[in-house]
Amino acid sequence: MIASTPRLVPFATAMFLLAMGVFMLLPLLVVIASSLSSSSFLVFPPPGLSLQWYGEILGSQAYIEAGWTSLKLALATVVLALTLGTPAAIALSRFRFRGQATIAALFLSPLILPSLIFAIGLLIVFSRYATGPSFLGLVIGHTVITIPYVIRTVSANLADLDPHLDEAARIMGARWWQRYALVILPQCRTGMAAGAFFAFNISFDDAVIALFMRAPNVETLPMRIYSTLEFSPDPSVAAVSTIMILMTIVLVVMLNRIFGLSKIV
Amino acid sequence: MSAGSAQPYREPAILLTPGLLFLLLAFFFPALQLLAQSFLTFGTEPARFTLEHYAKAAVDDFYAGVGVRTFRLAMIITALCLLIGFPLAVIITRVGPALRTVLIVLIILPLMTSVVIRTFGWLVILGPGGVLSWTLQQLGVIDRGISLMHTEAGIVIAMVQVLLPFLVLTTLGSLGQIPPSLEEAARVMGAGFFRGIFHVTLPLAVPGLASGSLLVFALSISSFITPTLVGGVRLQVMAGSIYQQMTGSFDWGFGAALSMILLLSTLLLIVPYMVITSRIGGRK
Repeated sequence: MIASTPRLVPFATAMFLLAMGVFMLLPLLVVIASSLSSSSFLVFPPPGLSLQWYGEILGSQAYIEAGWTSLKLALATVVLALTLGTPAAIALSRFRFRGQATIAALFLSPLILPSLIFAIGLLIVFSRYATGPSFLGLVIGHTVITIPYVIRTVSANLADLDPHLDEAARIMGARWWQRYALVILPQCRTGMAAGAFFAFNISFDDAVIALFMRAPNVETLPMRIYSTLEFSPDPSVAAVSTIMILMTIVLVVMLNRIFGLSKIV
Repeated sequence: MSAGSAQPYREPAILLTPGLLFLLLAFFFPALQLLAQSFLTFGTEPARFTLEHYAKAAVDDFYAGVGVRTFRLAMIITALCLLIGFPLAVIITRVGPALRTVLIVLIILPLMTSVVIRTFGWLVILGPGGVLSWTLQQLGVIDRGISLMHTEAGIVIAMVQVLLPFLVLTTLGSLGQIPPSLEEAARVMGAGFFRGIFHVTLPLAVPGLASGSLLVFALSISSFITPTLVGGVRLQVMAGSIYQQMTGSFDWGFGAALSMILLLSTLLLIVPYMVITSRIGGRK
C-alpha cells in the first residue's frame, strides 16, 4: 500500500508556485507599470496613467540612435555567429574524427569563462592592437559569446534528423555544393533559426561586454539604460525597457513555435 | 559514414577552420592578453614583468574586504537558489503539460530579459517609496517607509531572481533522466512522500544541482551590474571594483590582476566542491 501524500503538500505547492510567480515576474511587471505612470518620478503607486513617456523616447535622438545601434549590432552578430557556428556544428555532429571531444569543448568554452573576464581581455586587445573599442569590437565580442548557442541548437536539431540522407545524396553522385545546398543546410534550418533567435536576444540584451568595450559614439540600449539608472532613473527608461521586454516576449513565443520550449530545457 | 571516403578529414577540417581561427583570435588570445597584462607594468614603455599588481591586491585591506563580501554574498545567493530551485524543478517535472509550459515561461522569460532591465525592476521594488515599502505599509507591518537599496539583503534578493533560472534549468536536465518508476517503487515499498523525495529524487539530482550551483556561484562572483546598481559604491563587490579599475581609474594592470584572482579563487572553490558532490552522486 502506498503511503498517501500528506494533505498539506498540494496546498503548500500551490502557495510556493504563486510566490515564485510573483518573485520572478514582479521586476518585469513594475517596469511595465512605471512606464505608464503620469508622474515624472518613479513612485509607487503611480498617481495616474499616461503614455507620455513613450512619446518622449520616440522623440529622443539619443534613444532612437541607441536603438539603431543595438539592432545593427544584434543583426551583425546573428549573421556572423551563424556563418561560423553552423559549419562547426555540422562537422561536430555529422563526422567522426580524432580530437572531436576537445574541439567541441573549445567551441563551447566561451560559455564557461565569465563574460566579465572575456570582456576585459577584449578591451586590452582592442586598445593595444587596434584604435580602441569600436562597433566592430562589439560585433566580435558578441559573436564569441553567441557561437556556443548556435552550435548547441544546430547540433540538437541535427541529432533528431536522418544522417543517411546526406550519405544517400553522396552515393547518388551529388557534388559537395549540391549536398550542402539541397540536403544538409535545409536539415539545419530549424536549429539555425533557434540559434539566430538566441544570438539576437543575447546581443540585444548584453550590457557586460558593451560596458567594457565602451567606444566614443557607440551606445547600445542596455548601455544607455545602465548609465541612466546610475544617475537619474525616470519613467522614460521604463518605457524603453518595456519595449525591450515586449520584444523578448515575442522572441520566446517564436522560439516555442519553431523549436519547442521543452527542448531548450 | 564519411569515414569511408578517400579523405575523411578534409571535409570536417574545412567546416571547422573558420570558427576555430575566429575563436583563437577573438577569444583565447584576449584571455591570454588579460593574463599577461596582470604581470606587466602598465603605462611605461617598454612594459616589464612585475608582481606589483598582485602585491597591491594582497596588502590592501579594502580589497580584502571586497573579496570577503563577494564570496560571502555568492555563497548565500547559491544556497538560496538551491533551496528554492530544487523544489521548483521537481514541481515542473511533475505537473501537467499546460502548467509545465507556464512554469517554463516563468523561468525563461526573465532569463531572456536584459539583466539591466531586471535590476531596474528591483530598484523600483526595493527603493525608498518602492513597491515593497508600500505593500508592507498597506499591510501594517511597518509604519514608516523602508528601503533595501544599499543593503546586502537587497543585493541577495535581486541576484537570486537573476540567477535562479540557471539552477532550475540545469536541475531539470538531471531530473529528466530519472525514471519516475524509481520513486514510485520507493513509495510502493512504503516510503513516505518526503522520504521518496529526499532518499530517491534528491540523490539522483545531485549532478544537476552541483553543476547548476557551480554555474550560479561563478556567475554571481563575476556579476557587477546588479550588485553595483542595488548595492551602490559603499557595498562594492570584486567585479564592481574591476569595472571601476578598467573604465574609471584606468589601472589596467591592477584590474587584470584582480580578474585573475577572481578567476583562480573560483576555480579553487570549484574543484573540491566537484570532488565532494561526485562522491555523493556516486553513492547509490
